[in-house]
Amino acid sequence: MTEAVKNLLFEDCRKSCTQKQNFFDLKDRVILMTGGTGFMGKWVAEIINYLNKSESFSTKLYLLGRNISKFKEEVPHLADQNFIVLIEQDIRNVHDLPADVNYIIHAAGSPDNRDHVSQPLRTLETFYKGTQAILDAASRLSQLHRIIHISSHQVYGKNEEESVIQERFLGKVELGSVNNVYAESKRAAEMLCLIYRNQFKLPILTVRPFSFIGPYHDLEKPWAINNFIRDGLLGGPIRILGNGSTIRTYLYGSDVASWILQMLTCGQNGETYNLGSSNAISLDELAQKIRYSINPGIEIISKSSRENYTSFSKLIPDVTKITNALNTEEIYTLDEAINRTIVWNQLIRN
Amino acid sequence: MNKLRVAILGSGNIGTDLLIKIQRSEFLECVLFIGRNLSSPGMAKAIAMGVKVSDESIHAIEKDPDAVDLVFDATSAKDAAHHWKILDKLNKIVVDMTPAKLGGLCIPAVNLHEAVKQRNVNMITCGGQASIPMAYVIGKTQKNVNYIEVVSSIASRSAGPATRLNLDEYVDTTEMGLSFFSSVKHTKAILNLNPADPCIDMQTTIFAKVDEPDMEALIKEVDVMIESIRAYVPGYSLLVSPIYENGRIVIMVKAQGLGDYLPKYAGNLDIINCAAIAVAEQYSKVQNHLN
Amino acid sequence: MIRQILISDPTLRDGSHAVAHQLSASQIALYAAAADKAGIPIVEVGHGNGLGASSMQVGLSLEDDVTMLETARKHLTKSKLGIHVIPGFATIKRDLIRALDIGVDVVRVASHCTEADITQRHLGFVRERGKEAYGVLMMSHMASAQTLLEEAQKMELYGAEGIIIMDSAGAYLPADVEEKISTLVYGLKVPVGFHAHNNLGMAIANSITALQAGAKILDGTARGFGAGAGNAQLEVLVAVLERMGYVTGIDFYKMLDASDLAEKEIMPSIPVIKSESIVSGLAGVFSGFAKHVARISKEYQVDQRDVYRELGKRKVVGGQEDIIIEVVMDLVRNRK
Repeated sequence: MTEAVKNLLFEDCRKSCTQKQNFFDLKDRVILMTGGTGFMGKWVAEIINYLNKSESFSTKLYLLGRNISKFKEEVPHLADQNFIVLIEQDIRNVHDLPADVNYIIHAAGSPDNRDHVSQPLRTLETFYKGTQAILDAASRLSQLHRIIHISSHQVYGKNEEESVIQERFLGKVELGSVNNVYAESKRAAEMLCLIYRNQFKLPILTVRPFSFIGPYHDLEKPWAINNFIRDGLLGGPIRILGNGSTIRTYLYGSDVASWILQMLTCGQNGETYNLGSSNAISLDELAQKIRYSINPGIEIISKSSRENYTSFSKLIPDVTKITNALNTEEIYTLDEAINRTIVWNQLIRN
Repeated sequence: MNKLRVAILGSGNIGTDLLIKIQRSEFLECVLFIGRNLSSPGMAKAIAMGVKVSDESIHAIEKDPDAVDLVFDATSAKDAAHHWKILDKLNKIVVDMTPAKLGGLCIPAVNLHEAVKQRNVNMITCGGQASIPMAYVIGKTQKNVNYIEVVSSIASRSAGPATRLNLDEYVDTTEMGLSFFSSVKHTKAILNLNPADPCIDMQTTIFAKVDEPDMEALIKEVDVMIESIRAYVPGYSLLVSPIYENGRIVIMVKAQGLGDYLPKYAGNLDIINCAAIAVAEQYSKVQNHLN
Repeated sequence: MIRQILISDPTLRDGSHAVAHQLSASQIALYAAAADKAGIPIVEVGHGNGLGASSMQVGLSLEDDVTMLETARKHLTKSKLGIHVIPGFATIKRDLIRALDIGVDVVRVASHCTEADITQRHLGFVRERGKEAYGVLMMSHMASAQTLLEEAQKMELYGAEGIIIMDSAGAYLPADVEEKISTLVYGLKVPVGFHAHNNLGMAIANSITALQAGAKILDGTARGFGAGAGNAQLEVLVAVLERMGYVTGIDFYKMLDASDLAEKEIMPSIPVIKSESIVSGLAGVFSGFAKHVARISKEYQVDQRDVYRELGKRKVVGGQEDIIIEVVMDLVRNRK
């Protein structure tokens, strides 16, 4: 990774870590993150790297994942840091955790819908057995202060009516469809967390991520914003599949990691928090923005199963709860988020 | 007679089926059943059978290398390559069930004795184990074989996610095996998945284009080869005896499984496992000077 | 409300079945040029079973894939060049990379209707390369509407920007089409398409039914040139679409000219529904089996119709042409 790229990421971390006091309790402490080698894990590692280097934090970070060698290849500048310890393990199989762990971020499991539909059984097992394994192991740690369970907005299912989705929204997940396995798995995982907090008094809170964007996002993942950027970088056309009026929001990577880490110290046990941007945008508008950022001459085409839609999907989180808890706000605007992501992808392709 | 001490890397269907076959063997003893996930059905089976298990993957062997003589690698091509780097240094024998192709290719009925002179033996693919013996016979008995093609149909239920995601590797590896054993450069492998219920047994058709077919010689050698294979794969049989149709030689074989761990229709998995056991047993026999 | 319908023309691919894959480069050049002049949006070229399928199993093609695609590419300027790809026959390294390098625009990755997950890597690869990718579910009469939707959703996630279901056996009646297409249109984000075969004389009616149920992509071939009893006849289809007020972007007269040319230059005979095609359609057997069944039945003197019935009972899928030999052998044995 070139210096330019590393500087971009470092700068992002600096900008996103505005509420310094929220991070103080992480100083000299030990964090363990499952699913630590993915998008979220890489950003958490970047922020810890920033805090350790610029603020002399001496925070230790365990990153647990299935494929450590891939992590070492992709981000050697992080993998080589002496404060990062890599643990290669299948989450379903975790039984002992290092005794010095103070904080756990449980993000293990693929969010890639392709994996969910090709391997629905493994999906359910990973989230159910995996979550149980980590909670069991966590319950035997003596210095544990907090566990954050990274759930998903998909537990809310489909939404067309609610203008913003609050944490108490019941959600509508269609029964009888095997392709909804991810939503059901995450709901089961949330239930496990409720049980372990209630029955075993573990200090757990749940975070429900909405959509993210940033460096380290694999552009091949089957998400609209990723594919728009990928199509754009290939010269287009950018394809909008389905209803272009669909509304989404996107939070930038460094803000994501920054908020999660702050949740470790500022969140309340037993609570659930939406994690995402509140800035709504339709897929049509998103495609325009991305086109403009890369090359205004790129073609945009729409392909949908229907001519007319009477309604459209809206996934806009109400983030009052988390922003109040942290006394913070989104640092990166959507335009900045898009631009930085595109720049990063262009830099690493060369 | 000292049983060869084997470890199985990979606790999925292949690994678990191997475990059960090893229990029946008078030449092999399973000392370690290794996977990544202690709660998998295979692990549960192994534990119930009283076999020592581990979830530490290759580290389980690195920790105590002297306890193991031979390793069956039933993980993935990528992992097998990683494992071999370590096992090679530890001077272990590896029977590789993945398409990694790191060692010598082996079809027991054809080159068992040569194969075991190496320390890494590759079992090619399930379709390969079914078809390559026939391809070999064609290469042996026919003058000027221009082209060999193999089509396997397996029950949809016997094709797991690993097979489905790696169809290309399956085709590639099978074609390589066909060329190697028949000495024919131009080969082709095709795989069909059929969801019919009741599940179909594994069925493989071998086609060949030859200038002047000698069907008599072919039929004789095919019968001999079928018997050799049945010695280690009891469920292997001839479905259509070699015929010459539309300018091509056609042979059809069927592989029905033993039903050890997987249902009988999963003959495709059974055949590669039976072949692997035959190889491991041969190593054992050699070490005990029985062959 | 004018609706744009995307027509894909596999005359030079499905039609290949009708001539045992013996289409020559010059025939491909002639029709491709005429189709291009007529503004047919997608011209699909290749062996009947798609890229990399030339084999003893399903028939060796006269020209290899590279020749066929390069020839077509030369003669298509406005029209897009499409291919049909079945994982298990074609591989990315050996076949697909080269096809994309030659300049293929559209890749339709197909699987048997219950096995969509085998298309994951191939669809992903096409999208990585920025080309148009569609998912195709073959022999779709063998699965329920709900199952088809589940499988189609997988393909949509893998990167398909449209899903086409095929009536590979020509077994559907309009009500079947209505149910399945509307289920897909409702449950998917991307456009849905239909590929008809004419074994029961229903190709055009089924295609129109599909349209009315919400399909936006239809396949049709010149004179219906294709496997078994043939496909939906393109000229008729376009005529009906225009009469109904749909827009195809095709120049009607130039398309008629292209079909006349096709009849003259590439068809030994115009498709017609023969007795065996009817039995095949009723038995739900893949239309591409027709020539193989005819040949082997004749050779061993068994009634083709009995062979189809048996193949249907066994629920044989496309690509399993070798089973024909086994079935015929069984019939011969039982006769004795």
